[in-house]
Amino acid sequence: MVLLKLIKRFYAIIFLTLVVAISATLLGLTHSLTADQILRQEHARFMAYLERMFPDMDYFEHEEELYVIYNVDDEIEGYAFIGSAPGYSSTIRVMVGLEDKATVKQVMIIAHTETPGIGDRIEDEDFTGQFAGLPVDRIYLNSDDVDSITGATQSANAVIRAISEAVEEIFKEQSD
Amino acid sequence: MTDLLAIFIGMALINNFVLVKFLGLCPFFGVSKKLTNAFSMSMAVTFVMLMASAVTWPITHYILIPLDAEYLRTVVYILVIATLVQIIELFIMRTNYSLYSAFGIYLALITTNCAVMGVTLVNTDEGFTFVESMVSALGAGTGFGLVLVLMSGIRERLEISQLPDSMKGLPVAFLVAALMGLAFSGFAGMV
Amino acid sequence: MIKWIKEFSKGLVVSNPIFVLALGLCPALAVTNTLDNAIGMSGAVMFVLLCSNMLVAVIRPWVSGIVRIPTFIVIIATFVTIVSLVFQAYIPALYESLGIYLPLIVVNCMILGRAEAFASRNKLSLSIADALGMSLGFMAAIVLIAVIRETLGTGALTFFGITLFTLPVLDEQPVSLFLLPAGAFLAIGLLLAVFRKWGLIKND
Repeated sequence: MVLLKLIKRFYAIIFLTLVVAISATLLGLTHSLTADQILRQEHARFMAYLERMFPDMDYFEHEEELYVIYNVDDEIEGYAFIGSAPGYSSTIRVMVGLEDKATVKQVMIIAHTETPGIGDRIEDEDFTGQFAGLPVDRIYLNSDDVDSITGATQSANAVIRAISEAVEEIFKEQSD
Repeated sequence: MTDLLAIFIGMALINNFVLVKFLGLCPFFGVSKKLTNAFSMSMAVTFVMLMASAVTWPITHYILIPLDAEYLRTVVYILVIATLVQIIELFIMRTNYSLYSAFGIYLALITTNCAVMGVTLVNTDEGFTFVESMVSALGAGTGFGLVLVLMSGIRERLEISQLPDSMKGLPVAFLVAALMGLAFSGFAGMV
Repeated sequence: MIKWIKEFSKGLVVSNPIFVLALGLCPALAVTNTLDNAIGMSGAVMFVLLCSNMLVAVIRPWVSGIVRIPTFIVIIATFVTIVSLVFQAYIPALYESLGIYLPLIVVNCMILGRAEAFASRNKLSLSIADALGMSLGFMAAIVLIAVIRETLGTGALTFFGITLFTLPVLDEQPVSLFLLPAGAFLAIGLLLAVFRKWGLIKND
């Protein structure tokens, strides 16, 4: 009797607690079902970018934030790192491949949601192609060797900043 | 200090919640018919944004992330916001009834205001520290208030202007918002 | 059956969530810059609305009055999280381009509004009709806006990588304004005005 009265009195609280508990259980279940797939997906995407950049890649090793790419004969094929900076409407993430520790091989935009038709011109070969062969220390805002994009300055500058900030961080650590 | 200023300006002007991120549009079009209402609404929203950011930050960083349960954030954040709004409503009702009669109805609307939820999500996505989160909430609220007050001023004038029937009300409000959006896009690149 | 059809069809035109009720405007503007985003968003909204309407209609006798809204919010948030986890796992490109607007479905006034105003007062079959009609109306509206914005803004229309058509002059000189936030407001404002002129929706 007393118990029934108590339940009646706190029915709303008990009910809501129950709802939240069921919700959390359901989500935990969904999370555990999708977690592997999400990780696999991210890993596959990352590998796809690396393989496009270094077709002869066999495996890679971490050297702090720098990825060292090896070919089948255990020779160093090149290096890669990831940088990011806020653009016009999103955070832009870039992957930079290096020939050796000083020269850029290729730049790829791996994630952004900039305005289609305007900001997303950072993906164009016209823009990303200009980085190939440049020494890493020549890439910074307003550098003579790097052109921005007319009409999409903020997105383009974000790419340049993403690269230069990552370069500064990685190579400062290594020269110390 | 400059970082904090950059966040504030970024949230208030460059990535204005209403005109650029399209958050909080329901109150933007619903409550912007009169200047006084718009002002009260934006004060209430700013206050709730600050409170929500202050509460969700420790929850995210001391509970969700250590437990590896970040996928629960949507549920947790919305519950926090709904609870906060209720508590604030009760508190104001008990302590200051004149304030309650001025803000009360807006508070009830805030639970489903995407701008409040948006601030908490942006704070987590950007990885802001506690202080940065508070500044970003303040910036977002200020930007929201600024646009809401500007809009209501314009709409008060529109009420007495001659318009084609099919443009009256919502359609012309959208066009005004488009022009304001163009003006605000001039802030891009400020930081 | 007639009642079912009535509840289903009202969401499409008479009380279209976007154009008539002006609910759920945030996604209507934010993710209509491309057709893909609009379709992804309306798919997610349809799933959440259908599930939450169904569940609310089923548990409605047990829901206690004072915690009604929090209960609905938790239910909606649960389905939103499920959708975003599934999107993240299987269609990551879409997940990324929808960004924070995916979790923000939780505060989409349309979904809570339907749970509170319809599903908590009607039986299951009618709640399903309501959810389907409303989400199809939502989809029709945001796909229409997205088609206009993408076509004018880029001079072409693409559907998940397939180019549907390219316009001759606009292709060279697209009206990129329509891709900017301001263009979203402009497109919806003009559409609303045109619909009113044609008498499809009533004036205020």
